[in-house]
Amino acid sequence: MNAAARRRDKGWWLGVPGIGWLGMFLVLPLLAVFAVSFLTRGEYGGYGLPLTIENYRRLAGWGELGFDPLYPVILGRSLALGFGTAVLCFLLAVPLTFFIAGLGERRRLVALTLVMIPFWTNLLVRTYAWQLLLGPSSWLSEAAAAAGFISAGEGLYPSWSAVAIGMVADFLPFFALPLFASVEKLDWTLAEAAADLGANRWQVFRHAVWPQIRPGAVTGFVLVFLPATGQFVIPDLLGGAKTALLGNAIQQQFGQSRDWPFGAAMACVGLVIMGAGLFIQRRINRLKEAGL
Amino acid sequence: MKRSSWFNSTVAWLVYAFLYAPIAVVVVFSFNAARSGIEWRGATLDWYRRLFANEQVQSALKVSLIVAVTSTALAAGLGTTLALALEKHMRRGREVVNGLLAVPVFVPDIVLAVALLLFFGLMREWFRVFELGLVTIIAGHVTFQIPFVAMVVRARLAGMDPALDEAARDLGATPRQVFRHVTLPLLMPGIVAGAMLAFTLSLDDFVVSFFSGGPGSTTLPVYIYSSVKRGVTPEIHALSTLLMAVSVVATVVAMMLQRRDVR
Amino acid sequence: MRKSGWLSLFLAAMAVVQAGAAQQLRLFIWSEYIDPAIVKQFEAQFDCKVTIDLYEEAESMLAKVQGGGVSLYDVVVPPDHLVKAMVALNLLAPLRHENVPNLKNLDARFANPPYDRGNKFTAAYQWGTVGVFYRAEPGVKVAESWSLFFDASKQMKPFGLIDSQRDLIGAALKFKGHSLNSTDPMQLREARDLVLEAKKRSTSFDGSVAAKNKVVAKGLKAGIVYSGEAARGMTDDKATRYFIPKEGSQIWQDNLAVLAKAPNRDLAEKFINFMLDARVGAQLSKFTQFATPNAEARKLLGPEELSNPAIYPPASVMEKLEFLEDLGAKSRLYDEVWIQIKTR
Repeated sequence: MNAAARRRDKGWWLGVPGIGWLGMFLVLPLLAVFAVSFLTRGEYGGYGLPLTIENYRRLAGWGELGFDPLYPVILGRSLALGFGTAVLCFLLAVPLTFFIAGLGERRRLVALTLVMIPFWTNLLVRTYAWQLLLGPSSWLSEAAAAAGFISAGEGLYPSWSAVAIGMVADFLPFFALPLFASVEKLDWTLAEAAADLGANRWQVFRHAVWPQIRPGAVTGFVLVFLPATGQFVIPDLLGGAKTALLGNAIQQQFGQSRDWPFGAAMACVGLVIMGAGLFIQRRINRLKEAGL
Repeated sequence: MKRSSWFNSTVAWLVYAFLYAPIAVVVVFSFNAARSGIEWRGATLDWYRRLFANEQVQSALKVSLIVAVTSTALAAGLGTTLALALEKHMRRGREVVNGLLAVPVFVPDIVLAVALLLFFGLMREWFRVFELGLVTIIAGHVTFQIPFVAMVVRARLAGMDPALDEAARDLGATPRQVFRHVTLPLLMPGIVAGAMLAFTLSLDDFVVSFFSGGPGSTTLPVYIYSSVKRGVTPEIHALSTLLMAVSVVATVVAMMLQRRDVR
Repeated sequence: MRKSGWLSLFLAAMAVVQAGAAQQLRLFIWSEYIDPAIVKQFEAQFDCKVTIDLYEEAESMLAKVQGGGVSLYDVVVPPDHLVKAMVALNLLAPLRHENVPNLKNLDARFANPPYDRGNKFTAAYQWGTVGVFYRAEPGVKVAESWSLFFDASKQMKPFGLIDSQRDLIGAALKFKGHSLNSTDPMQLREARDLVLEAKKRSTSFDGSVAAKNKVVAKGLKAGIVYSGEAARGMTDDKATRYFIPKEGSQIWQDNLAVLAKAPNRDLAEKFINFMLDARVGAQLSKFTQFATPNAEARKLLGPEELSNPAIYPPASVMEKLEFLEDLGAKSRLYDEVWIQIKTR
């Protein structure tokens, strides 16, 4: 190694405090979750030995009152909600980012900041606001009742629709920003060339535009899908008790139900999903780098 | 396919309306004279007045500020040193640390919160440390703040011209002097921007604070959540409006700092 | 430099916080369950500061205490059915009777309860019932039965269910004519299915205070609440009523207790003794509108409270009321049913 490289590597100790902190307050806690998921719940709560895989069996459906696909269903629902939210965000983010990309330099900054601002305001506040906007006596609910989507006097909240609305409203900026990073660099000449050669709109998008924005879209997708699957606040506030998802279920175990080992097992499942998602995202990006 | 087609514009405007509707509702109704429901009954500053007399709000505000300031200070230090180490020094191990930094960003916040809860519980049993309270909340906040600070500072570092460093060294400055008089001042806007973002994240955090808190360490978002569970009141709207205002200001300042050119 | 500036600010803030802390009592209690004026009186009389944290239902309180709260709070207010569990988990400190002479003020019916013989750990705080709080409409006769929730043909929409394990499962069990303390898996499965079916038709799932607020705000027509909430609601809004369903319901007793690792055990016992004083007890019940277990305090109450059937039910109704019991290992069944109710 030359002198410059040696000088570079010498400063690694700078990273020790940061890495040490993360090691203690991130890695160890996650290991603790993994460990506790194999313990047994005490008679009145609490936890201890013996080691058991009972918690994972319950998650797979074999509980005390017989077989019940409850937890696999909850997990499936959470994944579906996360996926659905990501797709909806994508569908909205594409026209949004195209619009912003088409603005002049200064307006573009303003437009982007306007997208960011809700992202940085308190999620709790924005979510409970949806309770008001979707409650039985709100305009939106009355319009929906008039259109026949719901019965009169009922509200759009609490319900799955309310949760979906809340989720998309919260996660849209997560998708829009990385997507915009790709859209900003879009080479429109390719699209124009394709159009000149007689391709219709859909083909232009698929072959000239999509490959260019795919990295941003994939990042955005992962940024939305993973946290959305484990969301707890939005289903809790907008779903009443009618929408049970992974996040709620985990909170239950550490709250009312006082079954920490079981909750830990659920959290581990959440971690596995996150790991899988990150892994897939990196594979896709690496493929893209390789030119595929 | 045109960029600024009417379709894109319409969707974009609808999206903006969609994103700002909840914020608008809260702000508008914080001035509503009606106690509950959504009929408008005239404007009033009553709820804001009541807010300032509310003892629980004052105590939650104190807790939130102490937590935010302390955690931001810690995260700024840890995140900056980590960013420096990553950008300038570590060749090997960079991949691993990058992965480590990605975890708090991608992991569902509730998983992180319960992981910390379990960890603190075990620490309490074995070593009698980490009673739930201010310390545990701060510890949790710093953990998810570090990646954000590191990301902002790294972006700043990447945009810095290495020629400046070289020039200073050629003029005879020691590495420490280079750092103090060249690198750090140029880096400062990035550090402050990262710190402001970290501050906002801490102030707005709910899930980690909810699980890691103890008595007397209720933060503003936790207070808002408990109140909402009992029934939304206009005082909560007033409190939320103020909270959002602070976040917006901090974010805009952070963005402006980030956009300042590194000359 | 910025960083040291923040550090100074932090240290200054901590100094302010510490300076304000004289003696401290940390109370962990249900929301809307203590008169702020009483708290101020206690602070003045004993020269201390009281910090209060709130909870909306019993099992969450237990979770918080188990999860580390046992050494962070001084006084907690557990309901009857959780006391045995908390004692078994070593979460409560024994009451030193020499520090709590006012125990003698308690009514014989509420002192020396079956779950805590000799008041070793607890002192009765308030008692009450679980019932139905609804909005009355002129000319409409309402069947005083749980069928308002559990029978689709007799339901009163929009209604809310109570987000509390034993309370809601108990209501379903009572509707079917079983005991609130049943451990028969078949009966529990029946109750579970009833609740799940009702949940589909319900509008919300809240604690007692939130349900009361929603009925008063006209967001709900009927909800399941505790008697004191209902009494307060009826004072706020004359169009609301409270009844105990004819199939029977729950009577409960809440208790004051000191936590095992309380930071300030002496002050905690002084607090309990203070709450058992006759005048304080009367003031408390006037505020919460729950029934007082304090015989001396009862003497100081007026006819508005004592003749209110919502607060003090007549003998005929008292017969249909059942206390919840701690079910020991069998509580697992209820936990399982509750998880299924909450997560389906």
